[in-house]
Amino acid sequence: MEHVDHILIVDDDREIRELVGNYLKKNGLRTTVVADGRQMRTFLESTPVDLIVLDIMMPGDDGLALCREIRAGKHKATPVLMLTARNDETDRIIGLEMGADDYLVKPFAARELLARINAVLRRTRMLPPNLVVSESGRMLAFGRWRLDTSARHLLDEDGTMVALSGAEYRLLRVFLDHPQRVLNRDQLLNLTQGRDADLFDRSIDLLVSRLRQRLLDDAREPAYIKTVRSEGYVFSLPVEVLGERS
Amino acid sequence: MKYSLHWPRTLASRLSLIFLIGLILAQALSFGAQYYERYESAKNTMLGNLETDVSTSIAILDRLPPEERASWLPQLDRRNYRYLLDKGSPGTAMSDTPIAVTSIKDAIGMDYPMTVTDIPGPIKRFQVHLNLTDGSPVTIDVRPAMVPLSPWLPFVLLGQLALLILCTWLAVRIAIRPLTRLAQAVETLDPNTHPVHLDEKGPTEVAHAAMAFNAMQARIAAYLKERMQLLAAISHDLQTPITRMKLRAELMDDCSEKEKLWNDLGEMEHLVREGVAYARSVHGATEEARRTNLDSFLDSLVFDYQDMGKDVQLCGKSDAVIDTRPHALRRVLVNLTDNALKFAGAAELKVESSADGSLSVKVMDRGPGISEEDLAHVMEPFYRVENSRNRSTGGTGLGLAIAQQLAIALGGALTLSNREGGGLCAQLKLPASPL
Repeated sequence: MEHVDHILIVDDDREIRELVGNYLKKNGLRTTVVADGRQMRTFLESTPVDLIVLDIMMPGDDGLALCREIRAGKHKATPVLMLTARNDETDRIIGLEMGADDYLVKPFAARELLARINAVLRRTRMLPPNLVVSESGRMLAFGRWRLDTSARHLLDEDGTMVALSGAEYRLLRVFLDHPQRVLNRDQLLNLTQGRDADLFDRSIDLLVSRLRQRLLDDAREPAYIKTVRSEGYVFSLPVEVLGERS
Repeated sequence: MKYSLHWPRTLASRLSLIFLIGLILAQALSFGAQYYERYESAKNTMLGNLETDVSTSIAILDRLPPEERASWLPQLDRRNYRYLLDKGSPGTAMSDTPIAVTSIKDAIGMDYPMTVTDIPGPIKRFQVHLNLTDGSPVTIDVRPAMVPLSPWLPFVLLGQLALLILCTWLAVRIAIRPLTRLAQAVETLDPNTHPVHLDEKGPTEVAHAAMAFNAMQARIAAYLKERMQLLAAISHDLQTPITRMKLRAELMDDCSEKEKLWNDLGEMEHLVREGVAYARSVHGATEEARRTNLDSFLDSLVFDYQDMGKDVQLCGKSDAVIDTRPHALRRVLVNLTDNALKFAGAAELKVESSADGSLSVKVMDRGPGISEEDLAHVMEPFYRVENSRNRSTGGTGLGLAIAQQLAIALGGALTLSNREGGGLCAQLKLPASPL
């Protein structure tokens, strides 16, 4: 029998969790809805799930605390998608710091949630990263750069912020999650598309050249992202996970 | 008014002027009165002395043998007058009679007939001619003069003047300083970020003003906080029902009603979000400043738009690294760019650095622009331009207000102008110095 992804939805608002559950069910997913952290723990004891949708604002244990708990426990590999209450950058950053894989701002559209769920599942399944970023290590260091994975920008040696566009960040993140491993264009496109399914297809080659410019990498003699003829690209430097944000 | 003297502009100079003029006049008056008094009493004493002295001296001369008279003269000489044993110098007849002459006449006029002549010259001088009993002539040579002023007097006066100026300066300073401090405090008043607490010590009036100012500041901060809380509460309480409604709408069967409902919900959601964003933007600079590479910042912004299939272009290069609040800066530029896309379908960003090191980012479009009378108001919250920028285009009337608030929080300024050849240009000026 074909595997049906099992999604656990944790939200204190009964109507919202049931509406979300119904929508996802209609779209071919298996869903379980629970109201709080206690029920979530009880359920996870008996049944592992494929992805957890966590509301941030909940009475009792809030989403952030639960996310940290998941990342510290035996379900630490389970992807988490946060629902944040406000369109507030700090919420987002804290959510990602606690180890959430993605976030969505309320009020959201159910089809967007579905798209995000599918993207996160695809991303974590298709090519399991050989570099696991833990909760505490949000900084990835490589060459002369550091990447802040929650604020989503680069820092140079002086600590000057170099911004990345959404697509650039996702591509770089794919490279950094799979360092020194050849990735072909299909893999890169699939992993990069991630968040916004309706994103216009930029050719991977164009994105790579933009990213090289951002990293001040010489296109003819690249030090970071090397072209592997007829295969794809490889991120050629070792990547280190740093403990604390500087 | 044209002919009146210039009244100085500052309170300090006005007060100084009033104090100084008043004190100097008072000083001059009292000095004058004393001087007059001194003159009067000196004159009376002198005339009294003169009468007895002259009658005594003439009596002595009269009684001395003629050959001894000359040797007595030095002892009879006084500061203002002396005796000569001849007919004196020729002079002119006196036109008026000095008081001294009257005194001399009173003293000896009965016994010795006399004539008085004026000796012309730069200094006032006259002679009284008379004959002693033996017929020999005697002349009293008079040079009337006041007792000269002491040489230290001018220094004392100068000292007094200096004291006056010093006291005036001190008094004016004491009076003005709290006022200046208050004005400064009001100028920099921003109850959100850093309340300026005025010192409530000092003279009663100053302490009172400081207390009133501090209380006012606290009140403003409380109002702002209340407003912020109100907006946040409304938006938070609306979020849950809007989320439910959106989810319900999505589960509805496709029909035109679903589409309309969906759009209405979108508008509500947008308004709630913008309302909170505006309330937050008024609260200003809470985000931490970061050293930011401006070119990559703008690049990434434009690429994000291009990746969504939007016509947004960037030209120019600043080569600048600035200290700024990236989220706020991004929000300003996103609001301006969204506006341009909404009304013109395309946006062009242009970055320039000027000679003094300040930077400007322009967001330009070729849309309908904004009429001159509306330009002055479009950055007010909830203001909507009547014709093109109305509700049907889905605006909340907050986008530009948020952009302007955040621009101020960034230490910059946002200005709007119509472009030559049509369209709008929004210019964000960023400071050269760090925040």
